[in-house]
Amino acid sequence: MSLKTDNREFGVRTEDGIGDAFMRGAVGSAQDSLKTRRLTAATTLGDWERWRELGQQIRQHTLENLDFYLGQMADNVERRGGHVFFARTKEEASQYIRQVVERKNARKIVKSKSMVTEEIEMNHVLAQIGCEIIETDLGEYILQEDDWDPPSHIVAPALHKNRNQIKDVFAKKLRYEGDETPEHLARFARKVLREKFLEAEVGITGCNFAVANLGAINLVTNEGNGDLVAALPKTQIAVMGMERIVPTLEEMEVLDNLLCRSAVGQKLTSYITVMGPRQAGEVDGPEEFHLVIVDNGRSDILAGEFREALQCIRCGACLNVCPVYRHIGGHAYGSIYPGPIGAVITPLLGGYDDYKELPYASSLCGACTDVCPVKIPLHEQLILHRQNIVSQGRTGAADRIQMKAAGKFLSSPGLFGSTLRLAYSMTKLMSKHGRIVRGPGPIEGWIGIRDMPQPVKKRDGFRAWYTQREQPTSHSAGTQVPGSSGEAGAMTSIDHLDQDGAVRQTDPRVYDSYPSGTRTPGSLGQAGAAASKDRLGQPGAVQPSDPGMPTSQPTDPHVSASRPSPGRDVSVEEASSRIGKGGDNA
Amino acid sequence: MTTAFSHSDPSGSNAQDRSNRETFLNHIASSLGRPRKMDGVQRPAWKHTVHLDTLADRNQDELIEILKEQCTFIHTQVIESTPERLQRTLDDLIASFGGGPVMRSGDSRFAEYGLSFPGDSVWSPEASREDNVRLAEAANVALVFADYALAESGTVVLESRPDQGRALHFLPAHYIAVIQRDSIVPRSTQAMAAYHRRHGAGEALGSCINMISGPSNSADIEMQLVVGVHGPLQATYVLI
Repeated sequence: MSLKTDNREFGVRTEDGIGDAFMRGAVGSAQDSLKTRRLTAATTLGDWERWRELGQQIRQHTLENLDFYLGQMADNVERRGGHVFFARTKEEASQYIRQVVERKNARKIVKSKSMVTEEIEMNHVLAQIGCEIIETDLGEYILQEDDWDPPSHIVAPALHKNRNQIKDVFAKKLRYEGDETPEHLARFARKVLREKFLEAEVGITGCNFAVANLGAINLVTNEGNGDLVAALPKTQIAVMGMERIVPTLEEMEVLDNLLCRSAVGQKLTSYITVMGPRQAGEVDGPEEFHLVIVDNGRSDILAGEFREALQCIRCGACLNVCPVYRHIGGHAYGSIYPGPIGAVITPLLGGYDDYKELPYASSLCGACTDVCPVKIPLHEQLILHRQNIVSQGRTGAADRIQMKAAGKFLSSPGLFGSTLRLAYSMTKLMSKHGRIVRGPGPIEGWIGIRDMPQPVKKRDGFRAWYTQREQPTSHSAGTQVPGSSGEAGAMTSIDHLDQDGAVRQTDPRVYDSYPSGTRTPGSLGQAGAAASKDRLGQPGAVQPSDPGMPTSQPTDPHVSASRPSPGRDVSVEEASSRIGKGGDNA
Repeated sequence: MTTAFSHSDPSGSNAQDRSNRETFLNHIASSLGRPRKMDGVQRPAWKHTVHLDTLADRNQDELIEILKEQCTFIHTQVIESTPERLQRTLDDLIASFGGGPVMRSGDSRFAEYGLSFPGDSVWSPEASREDNVRLAEAANVALVFADYALAESGTVVLESRPDQGRALHFLPAHYIAVIQRDSIVPRSTQAMAAYHRRHGAGEALGSCINMISGPSNSADIEMQLVVGVHGPLQATYVLI
């Protein structure tokens, strides 16, 4: 497998995902479960925002000094008797691994889960020289036996399959005769794979973090397969993306804590191991240890405006809260890295030619940014990608014409006004019951997915209403909104509504665990939450029940304009869960 | 295949490996827009101490309660015993798992506490790698002493040594770790800091440090938890 998992068009892939009812049900319930577990783990720990800031600081410090720490790591691995290879490209990485395997005359290889080995197409290269490569992570093993079906989630790769499909794969490929109970399936895999562990000549692992001052690698698993891969075969090859490094065990510990809680809601996973070459006098562990440090485009990311994406610790929390991932599933991204982080890094590793659609596979709700344990501004990076894609002229001709036209109309008050006046009659033929139901060329893509409200007649419009409205009474002077700098008003108005009419509901529990300063107390905690609940399904309506809002007083447009950036100020987890529940994932 | 690569064939010379490495690291420095940093990088003062503060104020009795409670969430049985009763406790436990074969580490504490298990095998540097692995694979029960236990996460921490192999923790079906009460620390922070200090003092650490929190498990099939995948099916801690 390579970075690219599907050669079909993005549109075809998403259609596939949306049409797969089982997959969507599985993704939805997995998201709900993982999201809740993460939130519980973070709340139980307490001070979560400080933990995130610490994680962010550790990652940033390491990236800023990456040359130093990688040099230190290499020295220490060699000091402990291991070999280090620095690979600029994926070809260099997989060829080096091939040479090590060839030199050992090895045919039987066991592997623990590693995304970067997929990225460098290692399995393919090793299969070409006649090796049997066995994925030993249960999820990855299932995918391998199903003719290398691509993974659909960073942490739970076989999320898209149900137990019956898995039973059928095992029955067909491995002559499994049991039922579809997960425990029976897992025990069967344990038995088959135990043999593979014992006879393997080479073990290949990924690396959650390299510990620079120790010259060791850190693996985080629940199944114990990574430890067997590293303990039993006489040769171990560990492959790491060059950014996955920490200064010492002390920083590793902090990041492991963030990783386990964010990925699966565990305090620590069952097996967290710091490992390296077998030391003098020891009996097992690798007699020969190779660490392959892979660049493959990462140094370009380091040099550019997307550096923060390299802070990623691959927990998958952003996938678990993403409303787009929920609906299209992991395969639609066409990359081994799906979800919000995948939409950021896949175009960086694979180029815009193949992946320019991915940054648009986002509602920009910011839920991903909110849960990221190392504070990568994911949705802002998606916007940055979009800016690059537009400025490089990579958008379609129709888009360009449309945007040019919109620019003309929007920059001229006269043109804008007259267009508004004509909007109703211009859209009359396309509309039915106040909704635009079909449209010409460029807007068809939008209309095909959802109805758009038809513009109203001029006399029914907001401006007409605004000039003719009843004048405010003495206590409400237009721009005056009680609360700190008017944010309460802003937050309870249009920002709480997204395209599905769902409300970003504030969950006070979340805010209890955040230090003051990151949110504006009072703007959300009580007033916002209470008010926003009333808004479901009433887009644009101003609720007289807003505690901070004078009755019969519309939200002042200036107040709305000064709102904080979307997504950062509400419990977006709740928001995306509501979006999902409002959908059709039952 | 690039020139840099062919220079760094695994069997190639150190000088050529060195040159490949220098090119790689110099390129990173240029990506960072500054000259190469060869030394002098210090960890900054971290802006928060949340990892140090969490559970730091708990006394030993409270930590034991936290450990016991956490173990109920991670499918791990905790049995309280004493040095005097330890042999009996372990014998009963082994019997409850259907008896041996038992394989234990060569930890000196087994002798200190006067423990013996007729017919057991011991992980030993005197025996070959193959023999040790074969005995561990055949064992029904693995028996070890923890270096540290982490209250918050219900974890035992162990370092590999000549008399305590890495596969011993993973191959047998049942895993029993004996925890001395005074080895219980609040969380992973203290254990990792201790290894960090030992490393800093020039002590050679084993090839492997394991933090083990309960039995192996997976939720890869429909997110349904299955306990017992590649490693042990069951884990038990005995507190003394």
